[in-house]
Amino acid sequence: MRNTKGRNAFIFAFLSPAVLIYAVFLVWPLLQSFQMSMYRWRGVSRNRKFIGAENFNNLFQDPVFWKSLQNTGTLLVVAGIATIALGVLLAHLTDGDGAVRKFARAIYLFPQVISLVAVALIWQFQLNPKYGLVTDMLFRLGLPVRDPGIVRDPRYAFSAIAVAFVWHALGFFVLLFSAGLKQISGEIKEASALDGSEGWHRFRHVTWPLLWSVKRTAITYLLIHILTVFALVFVMTEGGPDRGTETIVSYLYEQIAKNGQYGYASALAVVVFGVSMVASLAVLAYFRKDPTAGARA
Amino acid sequence: MKFVVALASIALAAGLAGCNSGSTPEAKETTTPAAGGKLTGALEVQAFQGGYGIDFYQASAKQFEKQHPDLKITVEGGPRVWESLTPRFANGNPPDLTFPGWGMKHWDLAEEDQLVDLGPALDGKAAEGEGTWRDTFDPQILALGQLKGVQYTLPYYVMIYGWWYDPEVFKKNGWTVPKTYSELLTLSDKIKKKGMAPITFQGKYPYYMIDGMLLPWAQSIGGIDAVNAAQNLEEGAWNSPAMLQATERIVELKQKGFFQEGATSMSHTEAQQEFVQGKAAMVPCGSWLFSEMKKTMPATAKMEYFLPPFIDGGKGDPTAVLIGIEPWMVPTEAKNKEAAIELFKYMTSLSVAKKFVQEKGTLMAIKGSDDGELPDVLKVPSKTLRESKAVYSVQFRHWYPTLSTELENGLTSLLNGQISAKEFCDRAEAAADKVRKDPNITKHKV
Amino acid sequence: MKARQWIGTVALTAYLAVIVVPLVWVLISSLKTSPEIFASPWSLPAKPKFENYAAAWNEAGLAKYFWNSVLVTVGSLAALIPIGAMASYIFARYPFRGSKLLYAIFLGGMMFPNFLVLAPLTDLLRRLGLTESLVGLGIVYVAFSLSFTVFVLTGFFQSVPTELEEAAVLDGCGHLMVYRKIMLPLARPGLIVAAIFNGLGLWNEFNLALVLANSESIRTLPIGLANLTMARQYQADWGSVFAALVIVMLPAFVVYWRYRERIYEAMLAGAVKG
Repeated sequence: MRNTKGRNAFIFAFLSPAVLIYAVFLVWPLLQSFQMSMYRWRGVSRNRKFIGAENFNNLFQDPVFWKSLQNTGTLLVVAGIATIALGVLLAHLTDGDGAVRKFARAIYLFPQVISLVAVALIWQFQLNPKYGLVTDMLFRLGLPVRDPGIVRDPRYAFSAIAVAFVWHALGFFVLLFSAGLKQISGEIKEASALDGSEGWHRFRHVTWPLLWSVKRTAITYLLIHILTVFALVFVMTEGGPDRGTETIVSYLYEQIAKNGQYGYASALAVVVFGVSMVASLAVLAYFRKDPTAGARA
Repeated sequence: MKFVVALASIALAAGLAGCNSGSTPEAKETTTPAAGGKLTGALEVQAFQGGYGIDFYQASAKQFEKQHPDLKITVEGGPRVWESLTPRFANGNPPDLTFPGWGMKHWDLAEEDQLVDLGPALDGKAAEGEGTWRDTFDPQILALGQLKGVQYTLPYYVMIYGWWYDPEVFKKNGWTVPKTYSELLTLSDKIKKKGMAPITFQGKYPYYMIDGMLLPWAQSIGGIDAVNAAQNLEEGAWNSPAMLQATERIVELKQKGFFQEGATSMSHTEAQQEFVQGKAAMVPCGSWLFSEMKKTMPATAKMEYFLPPFIDGGKGDPTAVLIGIEPWMVPTEAKNKEAAIELFKYMTSLSVAKKFVQEKGTLMAIKGSDDGELPDVLKVPSKTLRESKAVYSVQFRHWYPTLSTELENGLTSLLNGQISAKEFCDRAEAAADKVRKDPNITKHKV
Repeated sequence: MKARQWIGTVALTAYLAVIVVPLVWVLISSLKTSPEIFASPWSLPAKPKFENYAAAWNEAGLAKYFWNSVLVTVGSLAALIPIGAMASYIFARYPFRGSKLLYAIFLGGMMFPNFLVLAPLTDLLRRLGLTESLVGLGIVYVAFSLSFTVFVLTGFFQSVPTELEEAAVLDGCGHLMVYRKIMLPLARPGLIVAAIFNGLGLWNEFNLALVLANSESIRTLPIGLANLTMARQYQADWGSVFAALVIVMLPAFVVYWRYRERIYEAMLAGAVKG
């Protein structure tokens, strides 16, 4: 049963404002920067020179590019596992009554609503070797964190970025998994009533598979937001020590800000864009079918 | 990085308009303002808001407006002002006069004909007294703004690099300022026994150590030629014996525990705060140190400048001083070039420059601006500079940023004990070699 | 069972401490002098130095940046939410040839580091005469927020049962009427969620504002914070940097606090299906 009268006109009228703004102010500049990846341009004048695939050739031979890609991937996996594991755990813990749980539910999104620049500053200050709170606590635990200092120490700097990212993002995942758990609580009860499972067994065989749609959202969100760690890297470590925390976007920023290589940076961005797209499509494909659909039917 | 420079001649001609060189037809049409020309319209100045702030420039603009009532000047800025200026240059709507700060790639601007050749203006009359505007500048400092003989930028204040100590603390403990590296070692031992860190440094930004230790010590050992050969990318200059021995001194200080704990991860102000609070006895820094720290210095703290300790037996010049400038420029596509140049001429006049010296406590590129009674903190730097037989300047950082980045990364790994002095120098040489072999990077010469 | 609950409470308390302690520490540090900050991370200020706030708010000009931020955030939302909702409704309920592709193109905008388009974008704004104005920044904000908004709202519209719509059509409602009378009210929680998330995002936005709104009169708060942080670093006035941090965080906390139940419910209702 479909209302077809004036359907096309309606579609057109409702879509055109969004399409227009999106096309003019996002897609068009984006295409222009794609085009830029085939030019040599220093970004300070209109002079630019077409050089074909040279930027890409140089990029694939650039060891720092591979290193930053690897760092970004590692961060995605480490931060991903940490946020999802902690998210699920804390979602269980915050579920229920009691003052602490209620308070927890009220504030766990705090770090999420802070500007990333502010998050980065807070962590930078906390990790300062002289007056940093976290440095002081870790030092008292016997860790050699005061020299050269956490953000400059090849042993700790990467973890520092990961921790700041998890601190910022975790609340969202707790929220997500809490919502997911609420949604499937009936199904969990049914299933466990049937096979009498509980505890870890129940989680492993009933709860975890049922959370599939939440997992999909979680991973999509991670993919999108892993690129934002740039602000953290930029403020806390500047990619150091010696490229130890260089991520793909901080390297891209270096090409623009330090080296004035806009064409090269655009080539980097095209690769980032391609990798993100492929990764997102892979996630979508993997989660396309509801694996629990059969069980539910 | 060779670009098709299609508009070069037009841009250059446009740039010359308003200057009294008299050699182009355009110049004849405009009156020379010094001869009573009228400056009108809007004039936009964008300035880097660093340790000296932008308030002085704003006040100068106000004064200048009083002399030229038809001129409307705005002076704005920020600590990362170059980030918003770069796209403005690319889009052809830059400000009229700018001091874009250390983050701006101003040599790219020069090579892309985005900057006015200020040479003809320099040959015009100075704002005060007889003689040309050029005569009012120190020629050696003026040369830092030239590329292939063209004056693309002009200096304002001059920064002197060196080391700092607290004379009160030294006197109380009976310590004397180390003139040589071996004196430094002996002194550091004493300081350390007192429970104080001998040296702190701005490890988050390793170029402070490059300017404060590596290059001065390379100069000590091999002379200014050793440093300039490296800046000129001569083969083997970055892993020369002079560089290697200078690097080994840094490693030695580290291994003897003379650097403050945690300094590797401190920002400039964090490390300097440790110094002014008396937790570290010495810090390498430029002459802006006092103005940067005066707000948060304990009232009892003092600071005094000294030249980096000279490496014993080196063939360099023990009086040589490392200096630096942060340049001002007029964009080719500025709308009010004439007024921009006149405003800057006014700002560099001796009376205004003297005021800047007094208010901000820095030396200037203008001759005679350090005559008379100087602020306390400037007395020693000024005397050192006057007594120096040679000055040199770090220019490769703006010429070859990839080389500079690699040096900084290498230095951090060196301090973390991950690479040796030899490996550090080889990495630097490899980075220099990459720049050398890249036909797209314009090569400069000191 | 008892022991497990107890362990749970301990773990939860630890989590809360991890969130709260840094924030409280920032708050306390904002009342210290620079030498006090450097003296010890645990010490309390000898005398709370409220001047730090005055320095940040007045001297550093955060007051003006604050209102600019309010203006551009609210203005952008006022345009973004209707435009985004309309498009999402089409994507959710009016499939047409190529609509899936168009939807994918909209989502693709989330995958791109936005400062890369800054150069072409400034050029575009200049041609349109919108540089150095909050209107220009606002339009760009709308464009860059559409991806997320369409992503969230399409999910919401999809979750509204089709029966209601069919009944309305039988009653003779036109397309516009169905949208206004039935879909919009039902999707209200979604609109609020989209507004809150976008509002927080725009309030904190840094990269675009840095370049597109840099003249003194239209600067926004995050740029003000970054400028202050860096300018104060040049002048080593740390207390006021911490104070500025508090000033920037506070409004976001207030909005979040006010709407936290709603965010929670809305997530429960719709976004999870995503």
